[in-house]
Amino acid sequence: MRVLVCLDGTNGEQVSKATEILSATQSLTLGILYVIDTGPRKDIEHTRERFLRRPGPPRSREDEMEQAELAAAQDVLNEGLRYLPDAETFQRLGRPEREIVNVAAEWQADLVIICPRGEYGGKPAIGPKSVGHVARFVLDHAPCPVLLVRQTAREQFPVAR
Amino acid sequence: MFFFLSVPEIWKTGLTCFIGLATLIGIMTRPFRWNEATIAMVGAAVLFLLGLITPADAFLTLIRDWNTFLFFLGMMALSALAESAGLFDWLAVQAARLAGQSAARLFLNVFLLGTLISTVLSNDATALILTPIVYVLVTKLRLPVLPYLFACTFIADAASFLLPVSNPINIIITSRFPLDLWTFLRLLFLPSLVVIVINIGIFYLLYRKQLTGAFDIQRLPSAEEATKHKGYFRYTCCILAVVAFAYVIASAIQLPLSLIALSGAVLLLIGALSWRQTSLRETASRISWSIFGFITGMFIVVRAIEDTGLTTLFGNWLIHLSGDTSFGAVMVGMAGAAVGTNLINNVPMAVVMVSALGGIQHASPAIQHGFIAATIFGCDLGPNLTTVGSLATVLWLLILRQRNVDVTGLDYFKVGVLVTPLMLLAGALTIWLLL
Repeated sequence: MRVLVCLDGTNGEQVSKATEILSATQSLTLGILYVIDTGPRKDIEHTRERFLRRPGPPRSREDEMEQAELAAAQDVLNEGLRYLPDAETFQRLGRPEREIVNVAAEWQADLVIICPRGEYGGKPAIGPKSVGHVARFVLDHAPCPVLLVRQTAREQFPVAR
Repeated sequence: MFFFLSVPEIWKTGLTCFIGLATLIGIMTRPFRWNEATIAMVGAAVLFLLGLITPADAFLTLIRDWNTFLFFLGMMALSALAESAGLFDWLAVQAARLAGQSAARLFLNVFLLGTLISTVLSNDATALILTPIVYVLVTKLRLPVLPYLFACTFIADAASFLLPVSNPINIIITSRFPLDLWTFLRLLFLPSLVVIVINIGIFYLLYRKQLTGAFDIQRLPSAEEATKHKGYFRYTCCILAVVAFAYVIASAIQLPLSLIALSGAVLLLIGALSWRQTSLRETASRISWSIFGFITGMFIVVRAIEDTGLTTLFGNWLIHLSGDTSFGAVMVGMAGAAVGTNLINNVPMAVVMVSALGGIQHASPAIQHGFIAATIFGCDLGPNLTTVGSLATVLWLLILRQRNVDVTGLDYFKVGVLVTPLMLLAGALTIWLLL
């Protein structure tokens, strides 16, 4: 079974546990994917437009931004490899939700594993809007089944009946 | 042409208004992705060629606003030279160090740093120079990027009326309607603090879930790495401290602020050249020269419209809407400026408002001050509503979204629509209470 695992920089441990459970029943071919989101860079360009400053920041600043993005992406993928050492790695640049479904199709994934959204500490989010726009898009558009891996949130139960 | 022909006045008025309107619509929609400066200059050139504004009038208009032109030049040069010294990078690293590994405290520090930079070096420096630096910093720290980017963009405007130099718009308005420093601070300092506190409070509420974590201090670049040349860095800090002090003194004694900005820029340039930290060409490349074309075009177009009496009518209408009360003046001035900035960008809106408010000299001092302070406030903070530039851009993004095309910028818009009306209202009420 070909499983594409989507990393967001905060979910390495979570998704590796999910693959462990899956690997107990069948052999898995794993791929780990991290997408550098180009959205924020475009937002910065829009801001420059408002201030009537085109084109973008000085070349040296652009390079610095690119290097920081690549270093962070490599860091996330290395972290992923620590949990899933045999996985094939994919690094893409673009809108994460679109890159994920496209890589899933190109790599002929049988399953995509994704978390609802990046968790930066605090209580795990459950309830309405707890699935972020990237996971939402992947659930709606993936070419194969999608496994949404949530954090355990038993302490937030029971919910109102 | 019309200059040489005797054409009925009504035709001239109609044609001037048509060209003025076409220029403003052109700036809103930017057909064929034309630069705003090109559109404004074409508008001015057509008026000029048709004789709808005389060369003497155009020349006098530009000469009268020399302070604005030189301030833009000084402000951009100061920021560019401070950036080349690594000052912004150093400040960002210090902000992260002082955050004690807490994402939430770093968020607060970004707001405070943005406030400091906007106050002294204007909102341009925060929005255009600090934002990419913060982006690099939070990417390295593996923190969620968007809250911090939004913080930079929003605080750039929210902190841009703490001092007259905090936004070039303030210079455009106060060049025509001089406010002494005490009056400026009395009317706008407290509203600015109110708006900043609201901004920080709402952002903490919106992004609380993304700001609960901590970051690894090991990922942080060292402060020494940020400064490229220690001598030039220290020199830059000293010069900027002197410039900040001189700004306050010059505002107090009503000296043109452009002279301070330009003098500071020249001193920084001398330092940068002698330490070989930049070249004239590099510094010049970091200045957006097209802005001068844009302002030149706008000043001439608005001047021609002013001659038709249309802006006076607009001004009278605003005064009428205000019901001759200070509360009305503040609310109408703020709303008019804020809506206008989102239609045609805040620079042309400030020029239009300055021209429209030409007739308020007959009003009581409270109404005059109400209109001036509210115009500064609306033009400075109003752009936060759409942040991506203008309503036209937002509409375009919405159309793209419907066509399922990649869209960014809408996230900004959602936050802006939520936060900005509240800040505008709270700030305007505070101005009114202080009148």
